[in-house]
Amino acid sequence: MAAAIAASLPTVQTAPTPAAPRQETLPASWNKSIDAEAEIPITTVQIDGLVTTKIIKHSLDSGSNAHGLLLGLDLDGVLETSNCFPLPNQSPDEDEKSVKSVGRYQSQMLRSLSEVGSVDSVVGFYQSAKLGAFFKQSLVEAQAIHQEKLRHGGIVIVHDTTTTSRGNASFRAFRLTKPFIEAHRRHNFSSASLINQRLTFSNILEEIPVKIRTNPLLNSVLGTLTESHRSPLSCALPSEATTSAIPPTYSTLDIGSVGLTRNLEQLIEAVDNHKVEESNLAYLSRQIARERLKADQYITKRREENAARIAQGLAPLPEENISRLFKIPPEPSRLESMLLLGQIDGFSKSLASASSSGLVTMYAVKASSEA
Amino acid sequence: MSFGRSSAVYIHQQALSSTSNQATEVSSVTIHPVALFSILDHYLRRKDEQARVIGTLLGTVLDSGEVEVRSSFAVPHSESEQQVAIDGDHHRTMYELHHRVNPKEVVVGWYSTGSNLNANSALIQNLYSQETTPLQAVHLAINTGLEESGKGAGVKAYISSPVGISPKPENCVFVPVPVELRFRETEKSGLDLLASASSAATGPGITQPISDLEALEQSIKSVTTMLDRVLGYVRSVLAGEVRGDPAVGRYLLDTFAASTDDLEQGGFNASLQDTLMVSYLANLVRSQAEISSRLALAATS
Repeated sequence: MAAAIAASLPTVQTAPTPAAPRQETLPASWNKSIDAEAEIPITTVQIDGLVTTKIIKHSLDSGSNAHGLLLGLDLDGVLETSNCFPLPNQSPDEDEKSVKSVGRYQSQMLRSLSEVGSVDSVVGFYQSAKLGAFFKQSLVEAQAIHQEKLRHGGIVIVHDTTTTSRGNASFRAFRLTKPFIEAHRRHNFSSASLINQRLTFSNILEEIPVKIRTNPLLNSVLGTLTESHRSPLSCALPSEATTSAIPPTYSTLDIGSVGLTRNLEQLIEAVDNHKVEESNLAYLSRQIARERLKADQYITKRREENAARIAQGLAPLPEENISRLFKIPPEPSRLESMLLLGQIDGFSKSLASASSSGLVTMYAVKASSEA
Repeated sequence: MSFGRSSAVYIHQQALSSTSNQATEVSSVTIHPVALFSILDHYLRRKDEQARVIGTLLGTVLDSGEVEVRSSFAVPHSESEQQVAIDGDHHRTMYELHHRVNPKEVVVGWYSTGSNLNANSALIQNLYSQETTPLQAVHLAINTGLEESGKGAGVKAYISSPVGISPKPENCVFVPVPVELRFRETEKSGLDLLASASSAATGPGITQPISDLEALEQSIKSVTTMLDRVLGYVRSVLAGEVRGDPAVGRYLLDTFAASTDDLEQGGFNASLQDTLMVSYLANLVRSQAEISSRLALAATS
């Protein structure tokens, strides 16, 4: 029973002597980690085993677009996410009703979770992605909203379903960088603003190191589950000689480049999308240049006319507000094109890593077949 | 149903009659790791005075009568010798919330920690059976391995059967049904990650996600160590130090007799070239994307 009580205490890795739960005074070693104003920056994100399994299940159940909220606490620079819950998929037309009902869903869920003693403070959200392409407008927008509401601005955990099915569960944590928040606050993604902030797709999000944690109770249960038992038959088939609830896998050793074609197709699609977006931008900027040229010509013409009139001793014509005569379109936002570049980068990164591990397995097979 | 019979016969009869007037009968139970881990988390977060925790199991029922428990949520309750109280509102709210995200999952039963079944269990079982009709509610008893010394962690599944001359809610027999852990092949890597965390040498239960190549390296290394072990064993048998086990010998024959001759050289080279090509292409695209984003910054400045 003592072990159970010890396990149910909050994680106290920094404090050597955990205080009893009801004790009012905190241990002295905690003093430096108390931070009511959220001044200690987050350096690591710690994900609980429960959270990883929940995210994996939700991602597989709902296809590519699974997202939900992460619950947890931060302690001395480590953001501990200890629970999460999925959010219902929003319909593409975000009418007010669906937004409201999602809000109601969230508050009900949080209340219910706090009733059973679970953590009920939101620290960020999670999002599933395929083939490493997680740059999406929705993700960045959602994170920008959280940035203002949450302590520490909140984080997003991206889970890649493709690498997980290939045999290596991938969890990465991100938060928005300062230049991006600045640009987003001013709703200004024109090229001048991007140049000022030195903003490219690679510094929209900054990655935070991730740690996976399992609590002692989960450790012991996993230990029991991974234990292998010998078959009671003395000469059982090799595949049945030992049994275990969680058998060891070597799926990373599978030969053949799985899903490379799919990955290539997606990459080509992303490049096409980017091309379309770029030509839109080019069209818009040509239009801007044309209108501006017209306005300039008008002004110089009017000035020449006025100069002639003054020379003749007539009153100059008023210089009208040119913005009323010529509509110069606002400079287009480059956010979409930047995010598409980010997507291309994500796809090609996952393609590169898949092909490199493919190469290694191929050479390994060659070596073993020659031996 | 007022026949005077012994309880054993009665259960048997009940099982038979349930096949005739019900669509399906629970034949086996599978539990998804998420449900199991949620239960363990709930157990860790219980209040001091609570001896056990209970909650609702959600999942799907297959035509074969197999119940798939796919997730679970906690339900507050209080119990004493005399009475048991369950927060029904909480249960309904949580069920509705879960239903919005995953409409396929329905209430299939309930769980409790600890392995003792008592009169309170029967009452709760009766309550949940009303929700899961026409199917019997499944009861999972999770032994966390902490309460009784000498007993490891384990999960047991039960369905109930009314007992006695006139069935009363507080009387029932829990009939065990087989239960196993079930997860999709694609979820395996997540469990592997947790298993590596639980056995990590770096610290208590902490690990970091690794890249694809590192995972591959680990797999290859572990295969190499296994090969070395086998080689050592075979050598010592050949040298006459150890008496060879014919079963092990047969396993080794089965494993290594797999022919690799069909791996023709031409196919290998073509495939190698393809993979290299893809790798170059990926890196080319990446540098192009990077250049493009830099050019956007340089333009018009």
